[in-house]
Amino acid sequence: MAPTASSNLRPPLVERGGLEKFIKSGKTLATTISPRDDSIAVYATTLTHSRSPGSSEEHPIYTTSPHLAPSSERRTFVTDTSVIFAAVRNLVQVAREEGVQLSDTVDGMKAMTKLALDYVNHCKECCIYAAQETTRHEPLQFDADHYRKLYTCFSLFTVLYMPESGLDDAPVGDEVMDWLNTHYIEPSTEDGDNLSSLDRPWEDETFWPYLTRATLRGLTKASAFFLDVLSQHPSPDLQRLSQLLIPLLTNHPRLHQFAAERDFAVASRRWKDKVKSLRLELDRVPEEDREDGFENWWERFSDIVSILEGRGENVKRIVSELGGDWKEVCAVWGVFIDPRIRRSDLPDLIEDLLDELPPDPTSLEDVIHSSLFLGRPSRTLTQAAELDIWLAAHLADIMEPLQLIEVEPDDSGHPLRDHYVLSYAEYLRSDPSLWRLTVDYMSSCGDIGKAMADQVLVRVPLRLRRHKGSQDAGEDIAQIHSGQLAGVLKEVAETCFEYKREEVRRTICRIAAQTFMQEKEFGLAVSYCASAEDWSGLGHVVDRVLEEYIAEGPEPFARLVANVAPVLHSLRSQHSAHGIFLYRLMFAVRFAEFHQRRVNGDLQEAAFDLVAMFREDLAPRSWWGVLLSDAVELLQHSQGMLFTNNDAVLFLHKLQEIDTRCAQGGQEDYLTVLARVMKGAGEKQILQRLQVIRLVLARYVARCGVIGVGGRSTQGIMY
Amino acid sequence: MLQTGLIPNAHNDLVTDASYDFYGLRLATCSLDQRIKIWQLDETNGTWTVEDEWKAHDAAISKVSWAHPEFGTVLASSSFDRTVKVWEQIPLTESDATQVNGSGSATSTSKWVERAMLVDAKGTVRAIEFAPQHFGLKLASISSDNHLRIYDCLEQPSLTTWQMTEEVDVLSLPSGPRSNNNTTSAATPTQQPSTTPESASASLVTHALQQQQQQQGQSVRSGSGNREADGGWCLSWCKDRYWGELISAGCGATGVVKIIQLTPSRRPFAVLTLDSSPSQTSSSDTPSRNTQSSTADSDAPTPFAITSVAWAPSCGRSYHLIATGGRDGRVRIWRVRPPVLSDELDGESEGDAEGKWAASIVGEFDDHKSAVGRVEWNITGTILSSAGNDGRVRLWKMTAGNVWRPAGHISVEQAEEQLADVDMDADAED
Repeated sequence: MAPTASSNLRPPLVERGGLEKFIKSGKTLATTISPRDDSIAVYATTLTHSRSPGSSEEHPIYTTSPHLAPSSERRTFVTDTSVIFAAVRNLVQVAREEGVQLSDTVDGMKAMTKLALDYVNHCKECCIYAAQETTRHEPLQFDADHYRKLYTCFSLFTVLYMPESGLDDAPVGDEVMDWLNTHYIEPSTEDGDNLSSLDRPWEDETFWPYLTRATLRGLTKASAFFLDVLSQHPSPDLQRLSQLLIPLLTNHPRLHQFAAERDFAVASRRWKDKVKSLRLELDRVPEEDREDGFENWWERFSDIVSILEGRGENVKRIVSELGGDWKEVCAVWGVFIDPRIRRSDLPDLIEDLLDELPPDPTSLEDVIHSSLFLGRPSRTLTQAAELDIWLAAHLADIMEPLQLIEVEPDDSGHPLRDHYVLSYAEYLRSDPSLWRLTVDYMSSCGDIGKAMADQVLVRVPLRLRRHKGSQDAGEDIAQIHSGQLAGVLKEVAETCFEYKREEVRRTICRIAAQTFMQEKEFGLAVSYCASAEDWSGLGHVVDRVLEEYIAEGPEPFARLVANVAPVLHSLRSQHSAHGIFLYRLMFAVRFAEFHQRRVNGDLQEAAFDLVAMFREDLAPRSWWGVLLSDAVELLQHSQGMLFTNNDAVLFLHKLQEIDTRCAQGGQEDYLTVLARVMKGAGEKQILQRLQVIRLVLARYVARCGVIGVGGRSTQGIMY
Repeated sequence: MLQTGLIPNAHNDLVTDASYDFYGLRLATCSLDQRIKIWQLDETNGTWTVEDEWKAHDAAISKVSWAHPEFGTVLASSSFDRTVKVWEQIPLTESDATQVNGSGSATSTSKWVERAMLVDAKGTVRAIEFAPQHFGLKLASISSDNHLRIYDCLEQPSLTTWQMTEEVDVLSLPSGPRSNNNTTSAATPTQQPSTTPESASASLVTHALQQQQQQQGQSVRSGSGNREADGGWCLSWCKDRYWGELISAGCGATGVVKIIQLTPSRRPFAVLTLDSSPSQTSSSDTPSRNTQSSTADSDAPTPFAITSVAWAPSCGRSYHLIATGGRDGRVRIWRVRPPVLSDELDGESEGDAEGKWAASIVGEFDDHKSAVGRVEWNITGTILSSAGNDGRVRLWKMTAGNVWRPAGHISVEQAEEQLADVDMDADAED
C-alpha cells in the first residue's frame, strides 16, 4: 500500500549495470499515462531518431501501475464502506443545508457516531473474514493483520474523538481500557486455561505474570479466581492477604456503575483507603516469610497492590516487565492511577509517557495510535495515508465535520480532507469498473473534485458498437439501438443527472452520436445530437446521411433514413431554435421519403414530395440538379400526369437558375452533388443531363397544354 | 509502482511514442520503423493485441495523438519526413471485406485511411497534439524549424481539408498582450523584437543550430551527435476552455517554455515565459520564484533543452499546473496563475500586476540526476510521471499543504538478485 513502493521491470529492459551503455547508445525512456486507470506505459525510445537496422533487440512496452487494483476481499471492503461514506456525506449535506454545525447537534453527532462505528465494524468483519482458514476463490489481497490495524485505528478514533452524547467531558479510562482489551488481549486465554488445570499453579512461572496482567487489565473475575486458588498456598500470610485482596478487586468502583461522577469519586476514595490498609497488612509480613521456596511471593503481591494504589512509576515498570507498551500504561492510568482523567488530559499524559516508552517507529499502527492519543488529527492522517489511504480518507471525511481539521482550503485550493479523499479516489481509479465509486468520492470534494469526476465520467467506455460474435452485453446494446437508454449509457446519464453534470452528459451524447453515425444508425445519431443540443453535429449527421445517397444510391439511402423521420417529428414539436440544421434534416428525411414512395410505386405521393421540397425551400441548391434529375422518371411516367403545369414550370425555373448561375461560374454551388451522383461524370455529361431534363420538362409542359391536364390554374388535379 | 503487463516486441525498431485513446482501451504506438500500430486492450486479462498496423511515413515517426472521440476515431502522426498526417478509422464496407488489406488482422471490421497530409514544416516535425475538443477539431504541431503551426479542420465529416490558421516562430514570438503585434511569423531570429536579453541569446543559439543543420543538409537525420539531438521541441495545450486557446511550447535548447495565446483576431503572442535556465535555477532553492521579473546575467550558463512539457487538466482549480522536463535533469512543476479579470478588479484597467499571467515553481526535483525525457499528467492532474536517463520512471503527487512529493518509481534495470522488489529508495520521500 505504501505509495512510494517501487520495483523493477521484468524482464529487465537493461541488464544490471548496463544503463550507461543503454544511454550512450542514444536510447532513453518514455512513458504515457492511461486515462483508463492511471496505468503507465513504459518503453525505451530514442534520443537520436536514427534507425538501428538489423538489430535483433526486442522493443517491448511495459505497463505499470501506481496501485494494485482492489480485488478479492479488498473490493468487497471498498464497495461496502462506500455505502457508509455516502451516508456520511448525506448527513453532512443535510446539516449544511440546515445551516448548523454537525458537531453542535446531538442527533447529528449520534448519527455520525453510528456511521463511524459502522466503519469500525466493517474493518472488524473484514479482519475476521481474512483470518478464516478456508479455501478462497481468489487469494486475499491484504491479510487479516492489515484489517486488524484499520480496526484498531478506526475504533481508537471513535473512542477518543466521538464520545457518546454528554460524555465528552467524562472520565475516559474505562473506554480506553475496553479498547485495549478488545484489540490487544492479555493475558492469553491459553495461559489461563493452563494455569487453572494445575494443582499448585503458583509454582508455574506464568502464574504471577498472569495474575498481575489480569489485574492491570481490570479482569476482575480472572484475578479473583486465581487469588482464591492461593488459599491453598503454603504461606498462611499469602492465604490471608489474597482473601483480603479479592473483595478489593471485585468491588473496584468503575464509572459505569455510578449515575453521578461525584458518587464515583467518593467511592473511589473510600476504596483507595481500603487498599492502603491492605498495604499496611502486607508490610507487616516479616522478611523471612516472604519467600515460598520458588520465589518472593511478597514482591509479586506487592506489585499487584501497587497497581491498585495507583503508583505511576511502579505501573510503568510492571507493564514494561510484562512486555506491555505505552498504550497499556495509558489504559491502566485511566483505571487505577487517575480514574477521573478526561479526554482533554490525555495528550499531556501521553506526551510524558512517550518520553519513557516511545512508540514503535517501525509500526505505523502504533505511530497512528500515538498521534490519535496526542490529539494531532492532521498528523494522524499523514500516517494513516501511509498505512492505507482508505483509512486516511474515511477518517478525514469524519474529522472535517467534527472540526478536528482545518476546513479552509490550503494553498493548493483543497481543504485537508479533500487531499485524502481525492487520493483515495485516485486509488479507486486503478479499477475502471469502480467508476461509480470514484465519481462519488471525487464529487464530494468541492468544485475541483466535481471537475475531476467529470474527467472520469466522460471516459467511461460506452460500448455502443455491436460486436460481431460477442454475446455479452448484447442485450443492452440492442436496447440502446432500439432507442432506449440502457446499460452503461443509462448509468452514466443518471450519474450526470444526479450530480448535475450537464456538460458531461452532452459530451457523452456527442460521442454517442458520432459512434451511431459511424454505424449508420442515423436516427439514433440525430436524437443524440439533439439531446446534446449539438446542432452543428446534427449538420454533420445530415451531411453523412446525404453522403449515403451519393455513395450507395437511393434505396439504401431511403432505408437508412427511415428511422430518422420519427426523431425529426419530435424535434420539430420542440420548437427550439435549431434553424438551419433542422431544415437540412427535414430535407434529408423528405428526400428519403420521396425515394421510398417512388420505389414502392406510390408515384403520385412521390411527385408531391418532390414538388414540396422545392416549394418549401427545403432542398439546398447543390441538390436541385439531383432532384430534377430524379424527376425525369416521374415526368415520363406513361400511366398519368403526376405534376401540374405549375409544378413543371417551377422545375423549369429552377433549371433556369442552375443554368444561369453556372454560366456565371457557380458550378461549384450547383453541380457538385449531381456530378458525384453521376459517379465522376465530366462537365459535358452533366450539362447533357441538364439538357435532357430540360427537354423532358418542355415536353411535359407541352402535354399539359395539349391535354389540359392540371389546367393552367394553380389548382392541381389533386387539389 | 508495479508492473502489470508487457507487450514483448511492439515494433521492429525503437518505439518513439505511444498514446492512449480517450478511454485508454487502445494504444497507438509509432516507431523508428515508420509504422503505426494500434493495440487493443483485452479487459478480461489485461493483454494488448494488435488491431491494426501500417506504414505511415517515410521516416521515423515522432509522435501520435488521438482526437477527441466526438470527432470520430481520428489519429494524427508527425514525422521526421517533415509531414503531419491525419488518419481515420472507418468501418469496412462490403467491398473492403472481400479484400482485407494484409496488415490488419483477418477479423478486423474497420480500417485506417489517410485523410490529410500537412506539409508546411521546414524541419522535422517533433510534436503534435489535438486541441481540447471545445475548440473544434484543431491540431498543433511543432517542428525543428522552431515553428508552431495550428491547423483547423474545415470539413469535419470528411477530414480532408485542413487550414493552417497560425504559423509562428516560437523563438521570436512577441511577448505580452501589450506588445506590438506587427511582427510576422516569418521573422528570423535576428530580426525579432527582443523582449528580454536571454531570449535573444537563446535564439542565437538556435540560429547557430539551424545553420549547422543547413550545413549538414540532408544528413541531419542520420548519424548521432547532430545538434538536433540536443534540442527539444515540445508542446501541450491548455485543456481549459475559460481562458481561450492557450498552448505551451518549447523549442531548441533555450531552456524556456512559452505560454502562447491564440486568438482569431490577432497574431499569437506569449502571455508568459517559463524560464528555467541555469542562471535562474542556481540562484536559490526556494520553492517559489516569480518568473515575471526575470533578469538574466550577461554570462548566463549554457542553456539546455526542455524536452517535454505537459499542461495538466485544470479541473476547476484557480491556477494551472504545467510540468516541464529538461536535459538539466530536473522535473519542474509550475503553478501558473491567470490574470484577475478586469471586471473583477473593480473597474481598474488590465495593465496592472493583477492583470498578468504569473508563474511560480511549486516543485522542482533533480531525482533523475540526468536528462529528463518525458513528463506527463494523468487526466485529473494529480499524478505526474517523469522518465529520465537514470533508467527510472518516477511519479510525483501533490500532498496536503500543496507540497509535491515523490510517489514511487520503477526501474528498467535488472534488479539485484532477490532484492528485486525491495524498495531501495522508499525513504527518498523524507
